Amino acid sequence: MIYDIRQTTTCTYATPVTNAFHVLRQTPVNRPGQRVQVSSLRIEPEPESWREGHDFFGNRLTWVSLEDAHDTLEVKVSARIAVDAFVAPADVSRTWESVQEEVFASANTGPTAPVHFLFPSRMVSLDPEIRDYARTSFPPGRAILEAATELTHRIKTDLTYDSHATTVTTTPPMSFALRRGVCQDFAHIMISGLRGIGLPAAYVSGYLRTHRPEGSTRLQGADAMHAWVLVWCGTDTGWVGFDPTNDMIASDEHIVLAVGRDYTDVAPMDGVIFVSGGQRIDVGVSVTPVT
Amino acid sequence: MAALPDKTSKIENGGLDQFVLGYKPLPGIVDEMMDGNGKVRAHWKPLLSMLAELGPEEINRRFTSADRYLRDSGVFYRVYEDPAGVERPWPLSHIPLLIEPTEWKALEAGLIQRANLLEAVLADAYGPGQLTKDGRLPAALVAGNPEFLRPLAGVKPPGGSHLRFYAVDVGRGPDGRWWVLGDRAQAPSGAGYAIENRLALSRAIPDIYGKARVKRVAPFFQAFQAELFNYNRQDDARVCLLTPGPLNETYFEHAYLARYLGLLLVEGEDLIVRQDGVFIRTISGLRRTEVLLRRIDADFADPLELNAASRLGVAGLVQAVRDGKVVIANALGAGFVEARAMLAFLPALAPHVLGQELLLPNVATWWLGRADVRDEILAKLDSMIIAPAFGAGGGTLGSELDDDQRGKLLQAINDRRIDYVAQEAVTLSSTPVWREGKLQPRPFSLRLYLAKVGDGWQVMPGGFVRIADNPDARALSLQGGDATADAWVLSDGPVSAATLLPQPERVTIQRQTGMLPSRAADNLFWVGRYVERAEATLRLVRALLNRIADAGDVGVPIVSAITDLLQDWSAAPIDTGRTPQMVARSVLTGADFSGSLPRLVNNARAAASVIRERFSPDAWRAIDDLVALIELSLAPGPVERAMVERVEASLRIISSFSGLAQENMTQLAGWRFLELGRRIERAVQTCRFVRNFADGRGPDGGLDVLLELADSQLTYRQRYVMIAALAPVVDLVMLDPNNPRSVAYQVDRIETHLADLPRGQTAAGRLTPVQQVAASIALRFRTTNANNFDRALIIEIEDSLMKLSEAIASAYLTHIQRTPATWDAPA
Repeated sequence: MIYDIRQTTTCTYATPVTNAFHVLRQTPVNRPGQRVQVSSLRIEPEPESWREGHDFFGNRLTWVSLEDAHDTLEVKVSARIAVDAFVAPADVSRTWESVQEEVFASANTGPTAPVHFLFPSRMVSLDPEIRDYARTSFPPGRAILEAATELTHRIKTDLTYDSHATTVTTTPPMSFALRRGVCQDFAHIMISGLRGIGLPAAYVSGYLRTHRPEGSTRLQGADAMHAWVLVWCGTDTGWVGFDPTNDMIASDEHIVLAVGRDYTDVAPMDGVIFVSGGQRIDVGVSVTPVT
Repeated sequence: MAALPDKTSKIENGGLDQFVLGYKPLPGIVDEMMDGNGKVRAHWKPLLSMLAELGPEEINRRFTSADRYLRDSGVFYRVYEDPAGVERPWPLSHIPLLIEPTEWKALEAGLIQRANLLEAVLADAYGPGQLTKDGRLPAALVAGNPEFLRPLAGVKPPGGSHLRFYAVDVGRGPDGRWWVLGDRAQAPSGAGYAIENRLALSRAIPDIYGKARVKRVAPFFQAFQAELFNYNRQDDARVCLLTPGPLNETYFEHAYLARYLGLLLVEGEDLIVRQDGVFIRTISGLRRTEVLLRRIDADFADPLELNAASRLGVAGLVQAVRDGKVVIANALGAGFVEARAMLAFLPALAPHVLGQELLLPNVATWWLGRADVRDEILAKLDSMIIAPAFGAGGGTLGSELDDDQRGKLLQAINDRRIDYVAQEAVTLSSTPVWREGKLQPRPFSLRLYLAKVGDGWQVMPGGFVRIADNPDARALSLQGGDATADAWVLSDGPVSAATLLPQPERVTIQRQTGMLPSRAADNLFWVGRYVERAEATLRLVRALLNRIADAGDVGVPIVSAITDLLQDWSAAPIDTGRTPQMVARSVLTGADFSGSLPRLVNNARAAASVIRERFSPDAWRAIDDLVALIELSLAPGPVERAMVERVEASLRIISSFSGLAQENMTQLAGWRFLELGRRIERAVQTCRFVRNFADGRGPDGGLDVLLELADSQLTYRQRYVMIAALAPVVDLVMLDPNNPRSVAYQVDRIETHLADLPRGQTAAGRLTPVQQVAASIALRFRTTNANNFDRALIIEIEDSLMKLSEAIASAYLTHIQRTPATWDAPA
């Protein structure tokens, strides 16, 4: 599938911001199964300095600083991206324990190496309750794809989607205790459970196809940024996307923007602003299939 | 050997034997002072003989004087877990640890070798990662290390070294060898305390210190200082010490080291990254810095690329490092080598990386990430300590686990064995401490310091000894209330040809002026304002209490005039039913009102604590004393007398603070901001007093109150020998340029201070905008007679003074808030 993606972020400040440093993670990059045909990023007002780069994991970063007083900041991204459908591996029998042994003994520290996604991270602690919840799906000798698919299903079934229950800073133990949350919470819970039993899991931010073919249901999170989970299933299969918010394996309706250890690695916008008043951020997203 | 050149007479040996009588090394533990046969080791004899000669009483006296020195220097540490954040007095154990020259040489060589090894490991981890690719360092051990800072991957540290100041904790094992217990590479603490321990002890026993051939530590710091300054490429750049701030447990040390090494003490908020480098925000504008001695944990150093939630860091610092604009000691990410799990791999890495075996062994450690190692360790779990592979947290000895704990540990290892290491249990040697008039053995660990100088390393000939309180303590931590001691490295020959008197350990430094960070200036300004406001409030309460004593309590207009003013100032609740005594009491003890004394004093202390290093210990103690006094409940007995006592005592402390600030603060920009705060506040308060007590229609006795508030009765009586009359009183309090409490005098001082500040002169010799505001006020005073000061004019002057305060703030202090940018939750 090929998609046109537009995202507009508008920050409004109660009092003028005199000085601002931002890091933006809003430009998509080429990945296995995904090609960026064209993309652009526009920022208003024009930043004093502008620098492009990549983070450790290969995500595109844009650092900007603004030195003139401003009371709004607008970031507009547009991109055309081609996404391949998910193809299940020929051999689906690989056990989760053998994946664990492989990653423990790994000698690979490259950008997408599984070891980076094996440990607790800023927002994902290793919570014993979530670990024990996840373990139910991982009895000895079970195939990792089958087990991860079941865990995805259980999270969707056991948790209620509720956009008022949590915020961007809610931790996995909190949303798990509530059994409520949004895609970020669902993804963090699944990641915490998998890492808890020694399996590598990454956090993905991206987009969902907004309008699905006639007759299929509208996906949760289709009008905003979305988040799901990548599970490493051994060298041969590599990373596979699981979407616990929609109980599905990510395929050509999931478009990847950034991959990290948790939300903090992929937050679309971070920074420090010098201001005495409050701030408000509005985000608009549209994802339109071209073919 | 370090034996005394001359007298080792029988008498002294007898004294020594007597002195160590009853000293018994702990069972199964090596003792530093006494060998296995109960004989005092040779290198301890001179020190012990000299101490024996002093006798227990004199020893106690000397040691007490060392404690007094530390207290007077303001040495303290803060206990994190303590809810009140209490600052504790420094626990110096007065008997130094002695290290003899041959042993020291071996230690030095081992430490330098280790520093080189760790530097190579860091260069590889943040560079090619070859050690991992070759299977010598597991990938999980790199990726799981919380101090492996990914934004720094591929970045060569400016200046070439990851490590510049490195510390090693060592302990002596039962085999008599020194063992490395752990590495400190993030931002090693304790060196400043080691200097203070040395100074305190060398002053308390100068004669002994002089004769004992102790290697001096100052040259080490001089070399380190010179090395840091070497990386300044531009003449006007300042070297800074970046601290997380006064709430940090070792803030005293940050301030102390900054002063000792001639560095500017800054917090993240003081720095700003621009395209062309890193700058300090000062009252003179932006000033470049190219070298930072870092005491802030790396993860907190840059909210843009590291921990976005950090409020301590500097946005863009990582980019400045990438651009080669700033040398940071130690480099961001150097804490990587501190991980306990590294100890498992360093012995095997040494021959590969350096071509040599480790000279100094480290505690035997195994990483459980490897399945075969795990099986081997679990088979002998009882004799092993299992500890986290990364980060802090102590270990547990297998044999001390009950069944439940053992089951949990085994499950945890089964889930994530990569998070654990096993270590051999370590028993440390003991060193003598002085308790209850005699020597007693206590286990200790020793922290040693190395500084990168040029291409090589220098080792500080000394160290920071941490002593367990308890004879069988295994884990050592200063947080647990243990003591510290100095370490004396003894020299083969005389340490100084010139004299046996103690050499000054101070590094001579040169201070540049005009390098006052805006944040510090802002706080000094507010200390001045709060202290002055507290003083005015106290004077008002005193006037009130005097009137109550004179006039009984109700219905006297002058008494209500004073209580009204106190209520206007939010110093007391507005409640017409309250007696004057209740109002006074509420001002002195109530913390609910923004103008009450407890609030003003606490505000002053809060502002001062942020810039504590800028006050002399005496001036700081005055503020502390005032806080302590205010927190006491009023003395028992008649409440009025208790209140008068409280007011007098408070005013005395404030007056001593003023004197100390005047006498002991270098009269640079910082002092001027403190002064500006005080002068502006005093001028405003005096205007208000005049408005309330000398407007012609005021209550009887108003002028007397005014003279009292302005501390000008004496002058008035000398000058006029008559009862208070309006015009002369107003002249004295508002206009008299020779009365240090008159408003005109304050304005004159303000003008002087402003002229002496940086940017006090514009190019064309014209007044700056701030000076113009001050000058217009001064002009008012020169063109107005005492008779013309009506209410409207005084209010106008007060407004101008407030404008002046704002003008100073916007010209020099630029107070701004930093907030993390936020983002809505994704769906």
